[in-house]
Amino acid sequence: MTRWAMVADLRRCVGCQTCTAACRHANATPPGVQWRRVLDVEMGEYPDVKRAFVPVGCQHCDDPPCLDVCPTTATKKRADGIVTIDYDLCIGCAYCAVACPYQARYKTMRPTFAYGRAMENETKRRDDARLAVATKCTFCVERIDAGVAQGLTPGVDPEATPACVNSCITQTLAFGDLDDAQSNVSQLLRENRHFRMHEELGTGPGFYYLWDAADDGQATD
Amino acid sequence: MTQDGTRHVPTYCYQCVAGPDLLTVKVIDGVATEVEPNFCAADRHPGGGKVCVKAYGLVQKTYNPHRVRSPMKRTNPNKGVDQDPGFVPIGWDEAFDLITEKLTRVRADGLTDASGYPRLAVSFGGGGTPQSYMGTFPAFLAAWGPVDMGFGSGQGVKCYHSEHLYGEFWHRAFTVSPDTPLCDYLISCGANVEASGGVVGVWRHANARARGMKRVQVEPHLSVTGACSAEWVPIRPKTDAAFLYALLHVLLHGSPRERLDVEFLAKHTASPYLVGSSGYYLRDRTSRKPLLWDTRSGAAVAYDTPGIVEALEGHFEADAIEVGADDEVLAEGRLSGETAFSKLLMHMASYTPEWAEAICDVPAKTMRRVAREFLDHARVGEFIDIDGVRMPYRPVAVSLGKTVNNGPGGFECVWARTMLAALVGGLEVPGGTLGTTVRLNRQVPSRVDSILAGPDGFMEYPLNPTDKARWSPNPNIRNAYRTMVPLAANGPWSQALGPTHFSWMFLDETPKGLPRVTLPDVWFVYRTNPVISFWDTPDIAEKIARFPFIVAFAYTHDETNHSADILLPEATDLESLQLIRIGGSKFVEQFWHCQGFALRQPVVATQGDARDFTAIATELAQRTGILDKYNAAINRGAAGVPLKGTHWDVALTPDIAHSPETIWDAVCRAASAELTDGQQSNGLDWWREHGLATRPFSQAKWYLYPALAAQGLRFELPYQERLLRVGTELGRRLHEHDMHWWDGQLAEYQGLPKCDDHGAVWVASLVGHGGTAEAYPFWLLTARSMQYAWGANVGMQLIREVADNVAGHRGVIVNTQAAARLGIGDGDMVEIATPQRSVRGRAVLRQGIRPDTLLLIGQFDHWATPFSKDFGVPSMNSLTSMSLDLTDATGSSADIVRVRLAPMGEAAR
Amino acid sequence: MQRSPRSSKTREKHPARAEDPYGPDPWQQKSWDARAAANFIFGGMGSGLIVFAVLSGAAGAPLPVLLLAGLALVGFGLFSVALEIGRPLRALNVFRNPRTSWMAREAWTALALVPATLAAAAGVPGCDGLALVLAFVFVYCQARMLLAAKGIPAWREPLLLPLLIMTGMAEGGGMLLIANWQASVGGALVVLFAACVLARGLLWIAYRRRANAALAPRAAAALDRAGRVLLLAGTLLPALLVAAGALSGVGSVPLLQALAGVAAAAAGAYFKYTLVIHAGFNQGFALPRFPVRGARG
Repeated sequence: MTRWAMVADLRRCVGCQTCTAACRHANATPPGVQWRRVLDVEMGEYPDVKRAFVPVGCQHCDDPPCLDVCPTTATKKRADGIVTIDYDLCIGCAYCAVACPYQARYKTMRPTFAYGRAMENETKRRDDARLAVATKCTFCVERIDAGVAQGLTPGVDPEATPACVNSCITQTLAFGDLDDAQSNVSQLLRENRHFRMHEELGTGPGFYYLWDAADDGQATD
Repeated sequence: MTQDGTRHVPTYCYQCVAGPDLLTVKVIDGVATEVEPNFCAADRHPGGGKVCVKAYGLVQKTYNPHRVRSPMKRTNPNKGVDQDPGFVPIGWDEAFDLITEKLTRVRADGLTDASGYPRLAVSFGGGGTPQSYMGTFPAFLAAWGPVDMGFGSGQGVKCYHSEHLYGEFWHRAFTVSPDTPLCDYLISCGANVEASGGVVGVWRHANARARGMKRVQVEPHLSVTGACSAEWVPIRPKTDAAFLYALLHVLLHGSPRERLDVEFLAKHTASPYLVGSSGYYLRDRTSRKPLLWDTRSGAAVAYDTPGIVEALEGHFEADAIEVGADDEVLAEGRLSGETAFSKLLMHMASYTPEWAEAICDVPAKTMRRVAREFLDHARVGEFIDIDGVRMPYRPVAVSLGKTVNNGPGGFECVWARTMLAALVGGLEVPGGTLGTTVRLNRQVPSRVDSILAGPDGFMEYPLNPTDKARWSPNPNIRNAYRTMVPLAANGPWSQALGPTHFSWMFLDETPKGLPRVTLPDVWFVYRTNPVISFWDTPDIAEKIARFPFIVAFAYTHDETNHSADILLPEATDLESLQLIRIGGSKFVEQFWHCQGFALRQPVVATQGDARDFTAIATELAQRTGILDKYNAAINRGAAGVPLKGTHWDVALTPDIAHSPETIWDAVCRAASAELTDGQQSNGLDWWREHGLATRPFSQAKWYLYPALAAQGLRFELPYQERLLRVGTELGRRLHEHDMHWWDGQLAEYQGLPKCDDHGAVWVASLVGHGGTAEAYPFWLLTARSMQYAWGANVGMQLIREVADNVAGHRGVIVNTQAAARLGIGDGDMVEIATPQRSVRGRAVLRQGIRPDTLLLIGQFDHWATPFSKDFGVPSMNSLTSMSLDLTDATGSSADIVRVRLAPMGEAAR
Repeated sequence: MQRSPRSSKTREKHPARAEDPYGPDPWQQKSWDARAAANFIFGGMGSGLIVFAVLSGAAGAPLPVLLLAGLALVGFGLFSVALEIGRPLRALNVFRNPRTSWMAREAWTALALVPATLAAAAGVPGCDGLALVLAFVFVYCQARMLLAAKGIPAWREPLLLPLLIMTGMAEGGGMLLIANWQASVGGALVVLFAACVLARGLLWIAYRRRANAALAPRAAAALDRAGRVLLLAGTLLPALLVAAGALSGVGSVPLLQALAGVAAAAAGAYFKYTLVIHAGFNQGFALPRFPVRGARG
């Protein structure tokens, strides 16, 4: 089996938003729609303050709340763990948006452009099927599928890897198959301590955050 | 191209000084849609071939509806902030006619005016980045003759000025970088590498963190770099020198001597040189070489005597001569001297951590600990093999941010930083503190190759003359760098590294002794917007409005070209052609294992009527009758590569106007030949397909130490005898011409710099303007934003959108508790004021900033540039006042100002 | 003092710029607005009315009128939310996933509720009971819808389920009393109404206590405002009015009961509006661990 997952090494992330911009390019999302974004988080009180940068987006959960609530079956979960949206089925009720604990879903009601009217590149990439329906990070599923079909390895070969991972200038983001013990992500999880966002909700995110090296080379949490 | 009409076109992005990044642009049916890393360059580019966030703005940049799409001329003769320029579209012919008319008149009237200043002035922005976009325009300027490139647009306050000048002087370091891949402990005083280091800097530091490097960020606010550091030390603004001096004190007076790199100090620095009672080296009476004490022979000998064992400390007597300024013999005979190191010891004795604590507000115990950690990590005595060269291995470094090493206090910081490196032998060795490139010294592909033996066992440095015979009170350009700043040298970059605000300041009142500063007859402006990016911007705007004829290469309407007479739309980043050098070592942290060239090429068709810069330059050259000189300049290498070399000759015919494609084809062939020693001569088509070509560059060339040691040269540290001499001479020259307005700056020329609370300079300036420290209790600082820095991309919606994800891009950052005391809530409108001016913006409350500090990221406050004029975010540049009081001896000042903060009343909301 | 000419310009609008906050602190959801809130308000109220109408056995106001009124309220709620969906032309897709989606189940229930209630109104035997059950199921579905919204701490608290059902019943009972403002309904129904009102108050207290830890401060504050209304105007006041009616003269009883109904229904509506519009804060993002940067010490 295959379980695609994302790993974000918070020790590396600098919040540069390159992944955000790359995602906006690769997926031609309209202004303000950031399927991948990086949060700027501050904790503590002066002078004992910490600040961290946290990539977020669809967590492609094992048990996605968005999947269960979707009245139309537009939201689906593939066998490889990727949660998808069928834009032709979605009615745009936004129930999934309020069900998602990760605020990963967007709904854009009308065509929106950077400077009011469409530029050439926006016209070229315009896709009205994505209007008035839910959209979110797809793990660049088309790249993965096309890449796998060509015998490429997602997370290793750029052509088969999500755009955010390809663009990451700190090697914060890694993508790969959790079910493959030898994959980059499996190795990272073994060698580092990690957590998942809002783990207590039981959603089983396919998005892991590294925060420290495991003392013995094996992650303890 | 694929069958579905999709292409991936390789090109480069050099929007910021930390570039270039190598990218590909996905083009669908002739429309640029996506930017991606050039994966083919991943193994050569030191940032894994990745691309900075700024590059992702290039697609919008290309299609931005706000672009100037055809040449335009001004119809309103009145200029000013409140004037509508009345730009109307014109054809290129008319535009060239209008410009040529002015230029021809200049040539007829004489290239310089009555004051001796060039009638043609040109300003570029962004730390030299426009050079990677302006094609062969440098050839036009070279062909033209005298040009004033000293009207600053950020230089001196927005750059790393003291580092530029002193760094190059001491270790060929136009900018300084830790050897991040090998460094284990880095003290970073305000250096915000995660914002200003580009892809390579960010990449290298992320890897270093993963490796376990400890970075201590010393900075008044918790910047992105502070966030990503192991420790944040919230220091009082502009007091970093005190912090660094305290570290030096601990190393010198609180640590066993043997823990320092005594051998490095003795053999590779001037520490053992004997300093006489007047502050100059004791010299051999015959050879005039500096003397040191040889413990083996028990005698004073010339520094380069073979087989000596230098005494590092002590007072010694020697038969010597002490020579001061203007070759004046100050003493001769049996003279007493002490080693420079002993002088250093005494000099640093009083700079204790406790002394520093009172100034910089960092606990003394923190400074002692940091100093101890620095020493503990230094691995004094260890060696490493780099590409077959054995070198000392010192994985500790200190880096400095711009406000730290600009303006008063900058010299002290840079000296202290370099001394910290020298004390542990960590200067220009693996793991340590390195220079990146040279800009003032002879420019060669590798800075190691720029080393020439100079006087007294040190490297040569092209100081501007201060002797009576050669110093002149009549500068070649308005900012008077050659007259006032010996360290600025006189190379292609020197004009921009002088006191570039003088060109503006002195327009109103030229100080005594200098020829009256005049307006240039014609001013070309490209990729720069001084009305926004310099200091004292309201004043700059008013002065620009007086310029008689401004030609602006214009992307969109902006605050500077608001006063232009002609707007010329140049084909932008994804539309035009240029080949640049890549690789080797270069700022900010670009250390490559290869070097070569990369091509920028038209990815898509040019929008509107914009023209390739090379075509514009050629046309200007032809119309002004200097085409032959222009082509000759290109042939000499003005486009980046000499077209005639040892193994190749693709020189252009001088008297023909060549197309951009022809010119760059020749440059490509020359570049190929240079890379392959004449084996290949690939033309433009090959480069269009491949995008780049390189050859290996040894890592050993990242470090100056081996070449210096091989030539028997020493680092000119710790004592600054040469600077003391030129400073004294400069003072004499100025006083001989009754010029006393530079006396404060002359005090910077010291053998060993004294340290003080340099923030007091700004408080004094505040008081001079009618304020008091109590009434204006905040330090207002600025910081770079990775999304914007140098990018001239403030009009890009995508950049704005993603930058907003990073705290502080929407207003002024205020400490939460400090804001609460003033009744200011998050998002409230506030007024930031100096005694003279005020700006307004929204408060962004954060814990990660000192309660006495405010931070305005970036420099917005646009009022003409489309899109960005609606940001509503103020800029510190509107509040800072240009003044001599705030200018240091290198001609720079710092981005800092004392202000008060107040919530705005209900009515204002 | 001179004010910078640029900064003094007032700029309130920032085109093409995300004005809404996005983390890390929780923020009010914007996906569902008043139109969605109306579905919960009128759906619960209408369902409750159908339940009470059937239980009333047509004492007082005519049963068909009450049933049709209840159905109209439910219908209005559904119409409101239909205005919010992005692709109304494919609204029928809402029926595709009854297997897991409470929204689909709500739709299916509504689909059954309409004929059942119409049939009951027409007097078809046995349909009144069916309508009662379906109305109850409908309000149950609505409550489960909110419960399934895991992204919103105020909604996903399990005690919201009985609270929403009970407020629907209290509102429905209140509507029945309003409808009978001229003629008193049976004492058992009034007792039932009062019981629902009191139970709702108690459930609110329990819900609020249980939800507290997960609530964003502003969500808690909004809920507390609504909770005060729910307790004072929605619980205490109706209880007092009903009690006053019971103790007072016959002539004023229906009016007092109707006023009690108004208070109960309005307070419930306000609570649900607040729940969706002002207490719908998501969880934001929080790091259980901060990353180690380079050296640990």
